[in-house]
Amino acid sequence: MSETFGAVVEQLSRIPGVRGAVIAEKDAGVAVVQELAEGVNGNALAALAASLFRRTAHAGRASGFGAVSLVQLEAAGGHLLAVEAGELVLVVVAEQGAQLGLIRLEAARAGKSLA
Amino acid sequence: MRRTDLPRLVEALREPIATFVRESRVRIALLVNGAGQVLAQHGFTHRYEVMNVASLAAAAHASSRALAELTGAGRWEHLHHGGASRQLFLAPLRTPVDELILIAIFDADSSLGLVQVFYEALEQDVAALPEFKAARHGTDQANFERDLEAGLEVLSPDAE
Repeated sequence: MSETFGAVVEQLSRIPGVRGAVIAEKDAGVAVVQELAEGVNGNALAALAASLFRRTAHAGRASGFGAVSLVQLEAAGGHLLAVEAGELVLVVVAEQGAQLGLIRLEAARAGKSLA
Repeated sequence: MRRTDLPRLVEALREPIATFVRESRVRIALLVNGAGQVLAQHGFTHRYEVMNVASLAAAAHASSRALAELTGAGRWEHLHHGGASRQLFLAPLRTPVDELILIAIFDADSSLGLVQVFYEALEQDVAALPEFKAARHGTDQANFERDLEAGLEVLSPDAE
C-alpha cells in the first residue's frame, strides 16, 4: 500500500510547477507519505491542510452543498489543493503560474484511486 | 524549582499556553514539571482533577523515559491515546534547564497532527523564555506534595 501512496505523490510531483504532495490521514492530520520541496514542513502541512479540508467540508455540508471533494487555497506565493481520498486527504502544493487545470485533474484522479 | 519562582513562571507561561490552546484547539492543557508541580493549566474545572492528572502525568513521564532507555528506544517523543470521543497527548517539553510535561486532551475539533505541530511551537516558545534559561534548584521526591500544592495554590486559588 505504501508503494501505491509513494507512486501517487511521485507522479503528482512530476507535474511542472508542483512543489510536492502529501497524503495524510484525514482525521488524525498525520502525514502517511510525503514528497516535498526543501523548506516545506510536511508534518505541519499535513496537519493544517487536513484540518482545513475537514472544516471546509463541515461548511459545505452546513451550506447544503453536500460533500466536498476538493479545496483550493490561493496565496501570494502559490496554490494548495486538498483532495478527498476516502479516509485520507491528498495535498498538492503548486507554485504561482503552475497549470492548475492539469493539477486539479491529476489530483482528483489520484484521490479517486486512493479512496 | 523554588516556591518563589512559581508566580513568575506561571505568568511567563500564560501566553504560550493560551496560544497553544487557541491554535491547536485542544480542550484541556496542563503543563507540569517532572515532580508534578503545576505550571500552567487550561480547561480543568476542579482542583482535584488537576492534582490527579499532574501526578499521573509525572509518573507516566518517568516510566516512559525509563522504558525508552531500557529498551534502547532512546529519547521518548510522546504518548497518544485515541479514545472514542476524546484523545490524550502526553509529551516531554524540553527547555534549556528543565524537562516539563505537556498533557493535552482534545476531541474531533482538533487532531493528533495539529497538536503535534503546535506542541513543537510551544516547546520553542517556552525554551526561548528567559525564565527557562537560568538554572534553578530541582525538586526532590521529598518535596513532591509541597510543590504540587504550591502549583495548585498559584493556578487555582478559587478552586475546591
